[in-house]
Amino acid sequence: MNRRIVVAMLCAVLLLAGAGGETPAQSPGRLIVQSQTEPPGLDMTATPATATSGIVFYNVQESLVKVDRHGKLVPSLAERWHTADNRNYTFFLKKGVRFHNGREMKAADVKYCFERALNPETKHPYAKDYEAIGDIIVKDDYTVTFALKTVNANFLQNVARAGASIYPRETVDTMKSHPVGTGPFRFEEWVRGDRVVLVKNGDYHVKGLPKLERVTFRFVTDPNAVLAALKAGDVDASLFGLGPEHVQDLQKDARFQVITGDTTNDVILAMNNSRKPYGDVRVRRAMTYGVNKADVLKGAMFGMGKILGTNVDPLNPYYVDLSKAMPYDPARAKKLLAEAGYPNGFDTVLKVSPQYDYTVRSGQVVADSLKKIGVNVKIEQIEWGQWIARVFREADYDLTIIGHAEAWDIKNYANAKYYYRYDSAKFQDLFNKSEVTVDDKARREIYVDMQKLLVEDAPVVWLFMHPRLAVTKKGLQGLWKDLPASANDLSEVSWAPAK
Amino acid sequence: MRRYVARRIAALVATLVFVSALVFVVVRVLPGDPASIMLGTEGSPEALARLRDAMGLNRPLPVQYAEWMGGALRGDLGRSLQYDVPVGALIVSRLPVTLPLALLAALFMAAAALPLGVYAATHHRRAGDYAAMILSQVGISVPQFWSGLLLILFFSVHLGWVRSGGFEGWSSGVGPALRSLLLPAIALGLFQAAVLVRATRSAVLDVLREDYVRTARAKGLGEARVVGVHTFRNALIPVVTVAGIQLGQLMAGAIVLESVFALPGLGRLALGAISARDLPVVQGVALFVASSIVVINFAVDLAYGVLDPRIRYE
Repeated sequence: MNRRIVVAMLCAVLLLAGAGGETPAQSPGRLIVQSQTEPPGLDMTATPATATSGIVFYNVQESLVKVDRHGKLVPSLAERWHTADNRNYTFFLKKGVRFHNGREMKAADVKYCFERALNPETKHPYAKDYEAIGDIIVKDDYTVTFALKTVNANFLQNVARAGASIYPRETVDTMKSHPVGTGPFRFEEWVRGDRVVLVKNGDYHVKGLPKLERVTFRFVTDPNAVLAALKAGDVDASLFGLGPEHVQDLQKDARFQVITGDTTNDVILAMNNSRKPYGDVRVRRAMTYGVNKADVLKGAMFGMGKILGTNVDPLNPYYVDLSKAMPYDPARAKKLLAEAGYPNGFDTVLKVSPQYDYTVRSGQVVADSLKKIGVNVKIEQIEWGQWIARVFREADYDLTIIGHAEAWDIKNYANAKYYYRYDSAKFQDLFNKSEVTVDDKARREIYVDMQKLLVEDAPVVWLFMHPRLAVTKKGLQGLWKDLPASANDLSEVSWAPAK
Repeated sequence: MRRYVARRIAALVATLVFVSALVFVVVRVLPGDPASIMLGTEGSPEALARLRDAMGLNRPLPVQYAEWMGGALRGDLGRSLQYDVPVGALIVSRLPVTLPLALLAALFMAAAALPLGVYAATHHRRAGDYAAMILSQVGISVPQFWSGLLLILFFSVHLGWVRSGGFEGWSSGVGPALRSLLLPAIALGLFQAAVLVRATRSAVLDVLREDYVRTARAKGLGEARVVGVHTFRNALIPVVTVAGIQLGQLMAGAIVLESVFALPGLGRLALGAISARDLPVVQGVALFVASSIVVINFAVDLAYGVLDPRIRYE
């Protein structure tokens, strides 16, 4: 009897609460996007967090130049640019572009933003990207010239990054909680712990955009909760955070569409080159031959993604497919190990962080693979904070697996202090040459040489490119398929008209 | 009574000092500092050094603790390293989620456990008793996050009655807000109810064996009056003790369930702060939760006197 009363009470409360009425997630002009991590702040000049750029970049704030959905550099706030000597870059700003506070964006704003990035006091996370800038000359309200101290082949790429966004100086103090820019959406509110809401900028400088009226980024961390929210219709799209195991299930569901594409995220098995036995190139090559990458991709990613053979990702214009340069060959791996003095293999520890599930799953397949060549891998799972401190900062590790999402990150191999501890004068020379070679053909050749040298030296084992896995309700259109930039451009996204 | 209250307040202060020192040391000996987590894999060593300096992490530990404690005594818990807002304000902003959640869960716990426990005791070793005990066993065995997910699957995905997670805020109306909190409150209360059913059953069973219950029955009183008046109140002391401990546990349980239901509460704040090593927030939340538990225990002690007038506080 008592139980019956309790059940009846429960149902009554549920019905009462249900009577509240709420807008269903999918309504024209509105989009609710799941976001895996809440950003630590919304100021892209204060944090390098991808959770921040994933919301703010391209949507609220923009740069002079933009990386488009195909990975190409295209005009954004600058309608064109010009350089005669690769030392002086002149940008011609679009006229009539207004910040969300109503003021027109002018060349003085550009100068202010870059000078602020270069000021050590502001602790800009990407100050290093702009240190080649010697002088910024405002010629008139819509023309600004950057005079570089040295030739920098990446200058335009760097001007297109999140750290180079243009914002009005009068909002600097409140950008962390209320970003203002020129983007297709205006910031409306941030309910900490729950959501960030953006609304349409009716005065956007690209006519006809954005197509949506309102975008809500809702913070849902747990993948199972994301799945439930999608199925219950509480969110319209998950752009990042669902694993391949969830996506498989959703692919069969007629209510959803799964978008898979390329990214700049290279998942690697890093080896500590400063530690025995990984200082020996024969051991590193043996590790490369000994890992069955096809199995890793199948086991960890359900076959989604692309096998990599070197560091440059498939979205990079200088990408060369070297995935078959060192194919799976356990016999050869064993021979190399024997030559290096390890005929019976060795024991080693692989540190991975369960924060990124795919690293743990990949680790299990890698360990299984390496066992066949006598390398006994003990997997140690550590929390993300510890991974950053012990593995990344102090290089206190033998092996680790992680995805490097930054585009153009081949520079890390030229840094002997980077946690791979790969120290090759030959590679460093090549890289330095690539930084000052502006001619595209010549630069491409250097990039090809760098990629081939990396295959030879095998400082890490490149496993696979982590695919883009986005899931949305059917009818959502205009999302980027590939992700060449660390942003979620929603300006062209809309709902297909109902049939 | 006055001396008793003074003693309890002294104990409260001692507990808080101990908890704060413990949390302060533990979060600092963990590998991984807030500056390097904030910079992730992108920051250079120079940027890291600058940030550490700006965050005040380079100063000696005792100096940091003394400063923090001094601030806490003045009601200033410091600023969140991650969000750059006062910790006190951050905690207060999360209370409208966590407190109603804990309260709803407690209501659910009491509403489900007390009648079921009494029912089991009065039907000792009969089918109803066994059914109640099996139910309670299941409730204890099922992890909270799992029951949370099951509830989402059934009520949100399948029936579509309530949201699968998130919290619109009280400003959007009591109905929608309650609707967001209902499933997590049930999931949270379920486990605690399962424990409380057992405590209630055994307490009521004990009292039912007392002489005065036999006397009441011999006088010809109806069973409802025997159980409702003579037994239940006398069985409440152990029940209130267990329920008091459970109220504290509801706070801890909220950490997991707020993640499953994507609720912007204190638990999720704490979890995020721990992974980001947002030390002032971790300390602030720990201090707040510890104070709440001490206050709840104090309230439980006072309740003893109300339930059993023979108890004196000297």
